[in-house]
Amino acid sequence: MTSTTETRTNRAKGEELALQARQLGFQWAASQPMLRFPDLAIPRGEHLFLQGASGSGKSTLLSLLSGMQVPASGSVSILGTELQRLGSGARDRFRADHIGVIFQQFNLVPYLSALANVTLPCRLSRTRHDNTRPDPETAAAELLRLLAIPEDHWHRKVTRLSIGQQQRIAAARALMGAPGIILADEPTSALDSDNRDRFLDLLLGLANERGASVVFVSHDRSLSSHFHHQIHLGDES
Amino acid sequence: MKTGLALSLALASLWHRRRVLALVCLTLTLSVSLLLGIQYLRTEVRQSFTSTISGTDLIVGARSGQLNLLLYTVFHIGDATNNIRWSTFRKLQEDQRIDWLIPISLGDSYRGYRVVATDRNFPEHFRYGQEQPVSLAEGKWFSDVFHVVLGAGVARELGHQPGEEIILSHGGGRTSFSNHEDTPFRITGILEPTGTPVDQAVYISLEGMEAMHVGWESGVAIPGRTLTPEKAKGMTFTPDAITAVYVGLKSPVLTFQLQRALNQSAEEPLSAILPGVALSELWRLMGQFEKALLGITGFVVITSLVGLVAVLLTLQTQRAHEIAVLRATGASTGLVASLHVIECVALALVSCLLALAVGSALLTGIAPWLLDNYGLNLTLRPLNGTEWALLATVPAAAALVGLLPAFATWRKTRHQGLGEIGGQ
Repeated sequence: MTSTTETRTNRAKGEELALQARQLGFQWAASQPMLRFPDLAIPRGEHLFLQGASGSGKSTLLSLLSGMQVPASGSVSILGTELQRLGSGARDRFRADHIGVIFQQFNLVPYLSALANVTLPCRLSRTRHDNTRPDPETAAAELLRLLAIPEDHWHRKVTRLSIGQQQRIAAARALMGAPGIILADEPTSALDSDNRDRFLDLLLGLANERGASVVFVSHDRSLSSHFHHQIHLGDES
Repeated sequence: MKTGLALSLALASLWHRRRVLALVCLTLTLSVSLLLGIQYLRTEVRQSFTSTISGTDLIVGARSGQLNLLLYTVFHIGDATNNIRWSTFRKLQEDQRIDWLIPISLGDSYRGYRVVATDRNFPEHFRYGQEQPVSLAEGKWFSDVFHVVLGAGVARELGHQPGEEIILSHGGGRTSFSNHEDTPFRITGILEPTGTPVDQAVYISLEGMEAMHVGWESGVAIPGRTLTPEKAKGMTFTPDAITAVYVGLKSPVLTFQLQRALNQSAEEPLSAILPGVALSELWRLMGQFEKALLGITGFVVITSLVGLVAVLLTLQTQRAHEIAVLRATGASTGLVASLHVIECVALALVSCLLALAVGSALLTGIAPWLLDNYGLNLTLRPLNGTEWALLATVPAAAALVGLLPAFATWRKTRHQGLGEIGGQ
């Protein structure tokens, strides 16, 4: 494990952290070995690059950070809230309010238009809705424009758009309503290198403008220079 | 807010998959149409059946069971066990409690249709349905011994017009070998369709019935002794006996009193029945069949719903990605699962609406044909409470079966990690 993260934090500083993980362990089943994760402490607005071979537990760590799974041991705090203290419904609401997610592919709800996909978080969360100025449609349109999605594509079926466009729409959705943290699970692995660099620049640029922290999972080590913190998973096991 | 979101997501998803779901929706529409149609027809046929005769307080015939008496007098099915003496009829005419009497005499037929001998009290007092009288579509009632009035069904089936002469047959049956050839009857009128057995009979006077049986005392015509219309002129005919009599009372309160008196008559063994009660009893017997039919139709609807769930469960595998996206965006497992229930109910509602449209279009289309061919008078009316309730069970049942894929989704997504799409 290599970590350039400052792991020692005090309570006052905890309020300022986008995410913090301590002694994190997870077991898929009782018969399987416990996965252990390095401690993390990322200040708000800073980005984390998470690298590791497949099977090293990258997706599991993201599941724990998003509150989709609860750790077997240790604790996760996102924006000062300890996720394992919340019930599953409260974790869903927390995720809706504070976390944006981008997957590798199949990021969009196929029966919603590009615009409706982007405004989806505002319909699921009152907080995200209230964070958009002046209203979700205008904010979504602005994001789509910034992410260079042509206007005639906004009301189109998303399945007809290119992968690059779909990924940028997913980024717009993750950024909507100013969530404190964005989890991106290999969002560039389906893109060619031009698209990949453009996507990364746009994502990080917009996240910086909005003060969001990005946790970026990738196996492509060349991208790590864009991030404040880097972690490599899987060295221990 | 979340309910609105779930609704709009479910509807968008249904629209997205409309091509696959159209067929399921069609199956469901057809089965709901069938269910609703059967229930609608049941009500209509029952209505039409129980109003085969109305306004008549008692039917009096020779002693027998009430169903038998009802069947041969009203429905022209089966035969009379015995006759009533003419003297008994005369005595009833003098009874102060009785308002009117319609004598009927059965026994002969015309090409399989019953010949009913009666008098002018029949058009005067006989009622069916909602107290409707029997009226003539064309021509006039019999005024002579050898006049005959045809029921609407008989005239339509055989293509008769007023003015034509017809030969009646002795006894029942479609092909009788002994015909009253010497005494042809002239058609003077044709009745309006009623949708009752009245349409399937021909009407002559009691005198006509007597006149054509002169010389038939042994059961076959004795040559030379039968009458011809010419010979019958100026003669008067009084029947010895009639088959039954419809009775109208001055006050319905007297019905049971008179019924008891007639049933206990010492002079002649008689049976007096209340047509309404007898009709209900008959309907109860036949009602088992239509209940079974409704039951079968219910199963057809259930089968369609099972088909719907099968399709939804199949679609579930395709939906794994979108569920992962919704979950990651913060949708609860409950919201994701509720989509299935909403989709099921929405499909059922669409099917119900389509079934209503199909049903009313079909009914409007075939009603004239049914009236012409079966004398069944069906009209488009608002659904009654039972029918609405039956219709409402369809979306309710859809919600129940929708719980199946909903529960499957809920169970699966509950333990899924971020972006995970497979089952465990």
